Amino acid sequence: MTNSFAVAVAVARKDLRAEWRTRELVPALAQFVILALVIANFGFQIDSRNAPSIAPGILWLALVFAGLVAFGRAFAAEREQASLEALLMTPASPVAIFAGKAMAATLLLIGCEAVLLPALTLFFGTPLSVEVIAAVLLATIGMAALGCLFAAMVARVRARELLLPLLTLPLWIPFIVAGGQAVQVAMGASGSYDQAMALLVDFDILFVVLTSLAARFVLDD
Amino acid sequence: MSILVANGLTHWFGSEVALESVDLAIDAGEHMAVLGENGAGKTTLLRILATAARPTSGGLEIMGLDALRERRRLRRRIGYVAHAPGLYPALSAAENLEFFCTLQGVSRTRAAETLALVGLVSEASRPAGLLSRGMQQRLAIGRAILHDPKLLVLDEPDASLGSDAADLLAAVMSDRTVVMATHDHALANRLCQRTLTLRHGRSVGTATRLHVVR
Repeated sequence: MTNSFAVAVAVARKDLRAEWRTRELVPALAQFVILALVIANFGFQIDSRNAPSIAPGILWLALVFAGLVAFGRAFAAEREQASLEALLMTPASPVAIFAGKAMAATLLLIGCEAVLLPALTLFFGTPLSVEVIAAVLLATIGMAALGCLFAAMVARVRARELLLPLLTLPLWIPFIVAGGQAVQVAMGASGSYDQAMALLVDFDILFVVLTSLAARFVLDD
Repeated sequence: MSILVANGLTHWFGSEVALESVDLAIDAGEHMAVLGENGAGKTTLLRILATAARPTSGGLEIMGLDALRERRRLRRRIGYVAHAPGLYPALSAAENLEFFCTLQGVSRTRAAETLALVGLVSEASRPAGLLSRGMQQRLAIGRAILHDPKLLVLDEPDASLGSDAADLLAAVMSDRTVVMATHDHALANRLCQRTLTLRHGRSVGTATRLHVVR
């Protein structure tokens, strides 16, 4: 019998090990977010007064586009290697396989955030606090669940690079709104941090449950 | 007794018929070769028999189970070597097999045993992406038998294998029911008791050894 937890861990470990050896994704994503910050730094007139209101927007823009690449690669690589079929031909639960892929993609994006958040502080002088990190991590969980589900869905179609943002971005809006508010408050703007975080937790639970239910049908053709 | 019974298997890709009303019955322990030109429908038939694809219409029963409804249960008993090896190039040969041991729910010690069976012990720690095409094919064959399946579905398993392909395949096919697509009629005659020939998605007949329909 296959143990779903062991399968999820094995899939995540396999993806992380492959990334560690090839270093295909994380260095490119790190470069991308740094470039995004450099462009934003020249594009906006940011000073200490307006930084708390502008920097969160730049943070979420960089995160959203880095996330699209990270989650898109989660299933595109399996498709290119023709290994997705071998994976699905095992008796392992499709939900466990999906959970493993989502876990790995989440950790890779967190690796990218580990570069993005200090860089944001460096460029714009915004505080790097536990509150900011917590908000970004909470949003990452739900965004990863949705991003990986749609990445699995479009992995078998030709125009996947176009379809993935079209499907994913509208459903990421709740995370960007709640996460944006939490980060803005954590950086000094007025508002309720706790309320925004509670919303993020609700969205995480909702979308993790929904995507787990849907994963079975998406992966098992 | 038939371990696999297919009735009227038909598969359409859009407006193109890839497989048309193929009937098939394979006994336990029997080895059957599927022959035919490129585009004859061999891969489509094998993907359906391996439960990797659903037919547009028709029925399929494998080991007494409805293969269209009980796919996950059957996958514990079916080994499938697809046209492409589908390996993880950044993982070593051993890591590829150990990963699939976890997914199949079998002990990781099976990985070492299988590497020995397919002759890849000396390549165990090499990344799969650096193995030759023939070695990758051996590894894909090893992955298909990790869980000791009763039914083996092989899509051109001899592709890229060396001169000892027949010996390797004979070793992995022994004590199993096998459906194997190949272009090599001599190999089919050596390893299989029966052949099924497809032409434009239709069965044009079966033959026993040494009486291959051409």
